[in-house]
Amino acid sequence: MFLTRSEYDRGVNTFSPEGRLFQVEYAIEAIKLGTTAIGIRTGEGALLAVEKRITSPLLVADSIEKILEIDGHVACAMSGLTADSRTMIEHARVEALNHTFSYQEPIPVESVTQAVCDLALRFGEGADGQESTMSRPFGVALLIAGVDERGPQLYHTDPSGTFLRYEAKAIGAGSEGAQSALQEQYHRDISLADAEVLALKVLKQVMEEKLSNTNVQLAKVTKEAGYQIYTTDELQAVISRM
Amino acid sequence: MRTATAVAAPIEAHGHNHWSPYVDNGGTTLAIAGEDYVLVASDTRQSDGYAINSRYEPKAFVLSNNAVLGTSGCVADAKRLCEVLEQRAQLYQHKHDRQISTPALARLLSNTMYNRRMLPYYVFPVLAGLDSEGRGAAYAYDAIGSMERVTNSCFGSAETLIQPFLDNQVARNNQRGADPERLLTRQEALKIAIDAFTSATERDIYTGDYLEIFIIDAAGVHKETRELKHD
Amino acid sequence: MALPAEASTGFKFDNVKRNQLLGDKGYKLPTATKTGTTIVGLIFKDGVVLGADTRATAGTIVADKNCEKIHYLAPNMYCCGAGTAADTEFTTSMISSQLALHSLNTGREARVVTAMTMLKQYLFRYQGHIGAALVLGGYDVTGPHLFTIYPHGSTDKLPFVTMGSGSLAAMSVFESRWREGLSREEGIELVKDAIEAGVFNDLGSGSNVDVCVLTKGNVEYLRGYSRPNERVFKEQSYKFAPGTTEFIDPAAAQGEDATAMDVSA
Repeated sequence: MFLTRSEYDRGVNTFSPEGRLFQVEYAIEAIKLGTTAIGIRTGEGALLAVEKRITSPLLVADSIEKILEIDGHVACAMSGLTADSRTMIEHARVEALNHTFSYQEPIPVESVTQAVCDLALRFGEGADGQESTMSRPFGVALLIAGVDERGPQLYHTDPSGTFLRYEAKAIGAGSEGAQSALQEQYHRDISLADAEVLALKVLKQVMEEKLSNTNVQLAKVTKEAGYQIYTTDELQAVISRM
Repeated sequence: MRTATAVAAPIEAHGHNHWSPYVDNGGTTLAIAGEDYVLVASDTRQSDGYAINSRYEPKAFVLSNNAVLGTSGCVADAKRLCEVLEQRAQLYQHKHDRQISTPALARLLSNTMYNRRMLPYYVFPVLAGLDSEGRGAAYAYDAIGSMERVTNSCFGSAETLIQPFLDNQVARNNQRGADPERLLTRQEALKIAIDAFTSATERDIYTGDYLEIFIIDAAGVHKETRELKHD
Repeated sequence: MALPAEASTGFKFDNVKRNQLLGDKGYKLPTATKTGTTIVGLIFKDGVVLGADTRATAGTIVADKNCEKIHYLAPNMYCCGAGTAADTEFTTSMISSQLALHSLNTGREARVVTAMTMLKQYLFRYQGHIGAALVLGGYDVTGPHLFTIYPHGSTDKLPFVTMGSGSLAAMSVFESRWREGLSREEGIELVKDAIEAGVFNDLGSGSNVDVCVLTKGNVEYLRGYSRPNERVFKEQSYKFAPGTTEFIDPAAAQGEDATAMDVSA
């Protein structure tokens, strides 16, 4: 795509003659610079795992948060320009709470994903009388994991506003290697415990640093307990099973 | 003395009549919830003062194969409210790719009514359907959206005649040897609903003509019609 | 201070000022039972037929399902009453006793015009505060007569009349079907249909049809002439098992509960 770079990659809302929106494509590229994040769906629940790049020994690892709660039954892992995800997660949280207020029930996972994606293309100058909120596309991809009456689910969203449902998905710098590793090792009947190990094993493969209980984050969403982030001890227990 | 005067202050502070946007079209609606069914019964007389507008203008509306909205008060408002609710239910279906559940619809109705807090829909609805466990659920509201899940409820012109009867026969209040927790069987509820309406028709001038009974269970909505007195 | 002597006859107005004051403060006066009513009368070939429904209402509640609205005035005169039940009952019975005295004094049967005049003068005196709307019918030496008397005292003399909240429904029947020289059977049938029009189309009227036929030297009072609104059977019995009602046994409660109700007195 870089070969065809032209004047058309300046405006965020101008198609190239080949029918492409370069800024959106570049935004998707930005995710490939991000840390690796993995999501795995199992029958017992959905799992999210992310790596943290501890770039300095002086950096407080706890301050890096790449898995966040959207609602009691939905969580989200991110890769790319993580600051951009603030806007999206804020929107998702409001949408989830509004749904609960309106209907006194948890929002379906797909609906909350759709709500996030509705934001993705609201960049550029905006139509007449319609205020645009952003000057460029989001530079972040999300893995949204949740449980509703359809069971545990995992969704992937990208800067184009497209979302797809996955059994297992990797995003970020190590996504190519991680995705093929998942493809080989994932099977539909995988248990949550096995998925924990699989997620960390795959992360380990693609991480530059040595995997430890401080440079990865693990979270799960189950029907019984909803969203839970693993403590250092719980994480260590999984690592020791690897 | 001053307090007594204040408490008994009249609602119409001035002698002259202000125009009111509301009309009470009379009629009565009741609901009885059971273990695996729920029943909504309402008469079909629509009146204005001493005149009968229609002998057959149903005020219970089937919203889906799992929800019936019984209304009383102002028919115009009731129909509008029902339309709004149907639209919102349809939008929910499109947005979330599933039928809205009765408890969700119940909350939606409460919100819809409270949105009109300062110029309310003059409607006293009863929403009936099955909950997620398949149990009969009836939700009773006031005109501005206060909601309560109940096992029995009655609104409308014969409310004061029928509700005590339901308290006695459905809730079995204050009776030695009675079990207030036991829910009625379908046949029991049907008989009580019919007797409530034939009796209310005797003494309430706004209740009469025909009785429509909707029974909702796992199989869907089933309707029964009875004739009431026309005088 | 000596109390003023109580008047033994007529209305007392002692409470008018007090009630007005209470009314201004927002206290509502008790509502009277109204006979929101259909009453009718017509002249036929040989006399007069009067008709009435039998519903009495208190607001929107049916107070009496089978009340009598055709009141006796004299052996040859009856009077249907609409409006405030008490006013129609007392007005007609008072005029009835005056008519009886009048007959005794004159040694003749009272005339219908006499009754009509007494009624209108009485009602006019109270300026409409006595809520009696009447249909007066009778047969005297001058033949059959039919009047309406309004609460303020105005009267009409017509061959067919209706009154009450169902008057429009009843009048629609008369206007379409009344003619001169109706037979007795036709007259009764028309009156019945007129009352039933009120019974079914006016919410203030209901239940049964009473009919009264007045002919020369004869009165036939047909109470419950038509009963088109019989109550249906209930689906089940509502008898309670003996002992259903909770109560406090005063003997058992003695000493245990100081607040127990004393039901021995």
